[in-house]
Amino acid sequence: MRRFLHVTRGVAWRSIHNTVVNPAILVPSIVFPLFFLVAFAGGLSRIAEVPNFHYRPGYTSFQFVFVFLQSAAFGGVFTGFAVARDFDSGFARRLLLSAPHRGGIIAGYVLGALLRWAITGAVVTLAAAIAGMHVYGDGAELVALLGLGVLMNLVAALWACGLAMFLRTEQAGAVIQMPVFVLLFLAPVYVPLSLLTGWIHDVARYNPVTAVLQAARGLLAGSPTELALAFGLLAAGALIFGAFARRGLASAERAG
Amino acid sequence: MRSQIIELTNLCYSGAVTEQPAIEVDGLTREFRRGPRAVDAIDLRVSPGEIYGFLGPNGAGKSTTVLMLTTLLPPTSGRATVGGYDIGRQGAQVRASIGAALQEAALDAILTGREHLVLQATLQGLPAAERRRRADQLLARVGLTEAADRRVGGYSGGMKRRLDLALALVHRPRILFLDEPTTGLDPQSRAALWEEVRHLAHDEGITVFLTTQYLEEADVLADRIGIIDHGRIVAEGTPAQLKAEISSPSVEIMPAEEQRSDRLAELLSSFGEPLRDGRGRVTVKLPRGEAQLAEVVRLLDRASLRVQTLQLHQPSLDDVFLAKTGRKLEGALDADSAPGPAGEPPARRRGRRRGR
Repeated sequence: MRRFLHVTRGVAWRSIHNTVVNPAILVPSIVFPLFFLVAFAGGLSRIAEVPNFHYRPGYTSFQFVFVFLQSAAFGGVFTGFAVARDFDSGFARRLLLSAPHRGGIIAGYVLGALLRWAITGAVVTLAAAIAGMHVYGDGAELVALLGLGVLMNLVAALWACGLAMFLRTEQAGAVIQMPVFVLLFLAPVYVPLSLLTGWIHDVARYNPVTAVLQAARGLLAGSPTELALAFGLLAAGALIFGAFARRGLASAERAG
Repeated sequence: MRSQIIELTNLCYSGAVTEQPAIEVDGLTREFRRGPRAVDAIDLRVSPGEIYGFLGPNGAGKSTTVLMLTTLLPPTSGRATVGGYDIGRQGAQVRASIGAALQEAALDAILTGREHLVLQATLQGLPAAERRRRADQLLARVGLTEAADRRVGGYSGGMKRRLDLALALVHRPRILFLDEPTTGLDPQSRAALWEEVRHLAHDEGITVFLTTQYLEEADVLADRIGIIDHGRIVAEGTPAQLKAEISSPSVEIMPAEEQRSDRLAELLSSFGEPLRDGRGRVTVKLPRGEAQLAEVVRLLDRASLRVQTLQLHQPSLDDVFLAKTGRKLEGALDADSAPGPAGEPPARRRGRRRGR
């Protein structure tokens, strides 16, 4: 266990270090969600006046929750890019060689993703607060909201790590990103589910991200809904993609 | 013949008889899909504190062997222990007891030299207080103290190699794998690295498994050499044993007066059949080795035959390679046989191209 923790710590430290000292990594990871927040919450703010839009904290808060979860998911996805880059450059082989306990490599990348998202999440929250976001949830509800973000980041990071380890090339970027992007934007991003119609409503209804998004919006509004379903889905995702990441690592070990 | 060499080696290295080998390999094989066997049922033993040179051309299977022994690539069949641990079942223990500098010094361009060492120390579980101290020690040892806080993206090839060696030594491994450590280095850096490898093995007792395609490197550095070609070990022994096995040294003499060349040949005929060139130079093999050189000198002195030049020629490892494989090692170093990723054999890449 100690060996596992040493490896986790080393890999996570490098991930954070490289993010902080390299503006090319840090700036896009912050600007991207900020752009979404400003563009959606600002440009589409009159959606709040649409009949049957009943979200008490307002449209900025409505959009904040999506951008918060989206930044968590993409924080995980970007980690996959870093893993793929490490395989392309050969640095992953150094990690495989140096790590007495190789499971710690996955844990380190995942912890690095979480810590990087902590920076992005804090900036997005601050920006939303400045933009006039209203919060009706109490302390416990906000902690639960944070928990959903953490789990979202974990699931995305495990998916991205696993796929990057299977494919072991930077060209895997698009394949890692696309399913996450599609799932996120086929959820009720701009309006509540009840206002969606046609095929997009049907897809959104069964999209697991919808349950997470509605639960998170409920927590911010102080009226929790579908919490068990949201946490259950994310926990199941973490288990499934945790196993997937472990298999990805085994594939990389076999390939040498 | 091969088993005789191994027995002789065991006599020379008494440690191998009484101590557990640092590296023990039995029938180790690695096959790649749609390709030939990159490593074909090799057996070898390396004693603690020994420098074992693994010599062969590109694509011979050297790097694939190192990848298997360092647990980076699972073997198709066979078994091996490194530091007493099975590479298949005890990978974590193997990795904890070895250091390795692979062919490509895969470094993170964003990290500084010192940060690389601290990261390596963290991965290996060194206590926090010791990480920086160990990094400083190793930076000084490989002459990178001044460049320690520069990003390695700006390092030269030689500096990267030295940092790679330092990284391999962070956790004080008992066994060190160096995969073509001097490829691409200038002569000065190469000599410095050789000196460091000698120091590690002979002063610190670290076992060194070194792959190389350079005859000179294997000759001057290795206590024992395994010559690998097409995935098979074709010869093994000390450099002297290998050379002695295929040929004896020869002495080439140019008399001070060219007209005395006949007399010189007559005198040297007591050692064997003398060979003469058109300029009066006479060459003869010394069947009992270089110790016979003194006899030659005494004979010339008794005959009052003055010489202009006298040269002793030892057989080279290239001669050994030629004798064992039917081709010169230098000629085998062609681009077509360069290894692919993970040391995969050239045939696989050719097959892949055809498949596209």
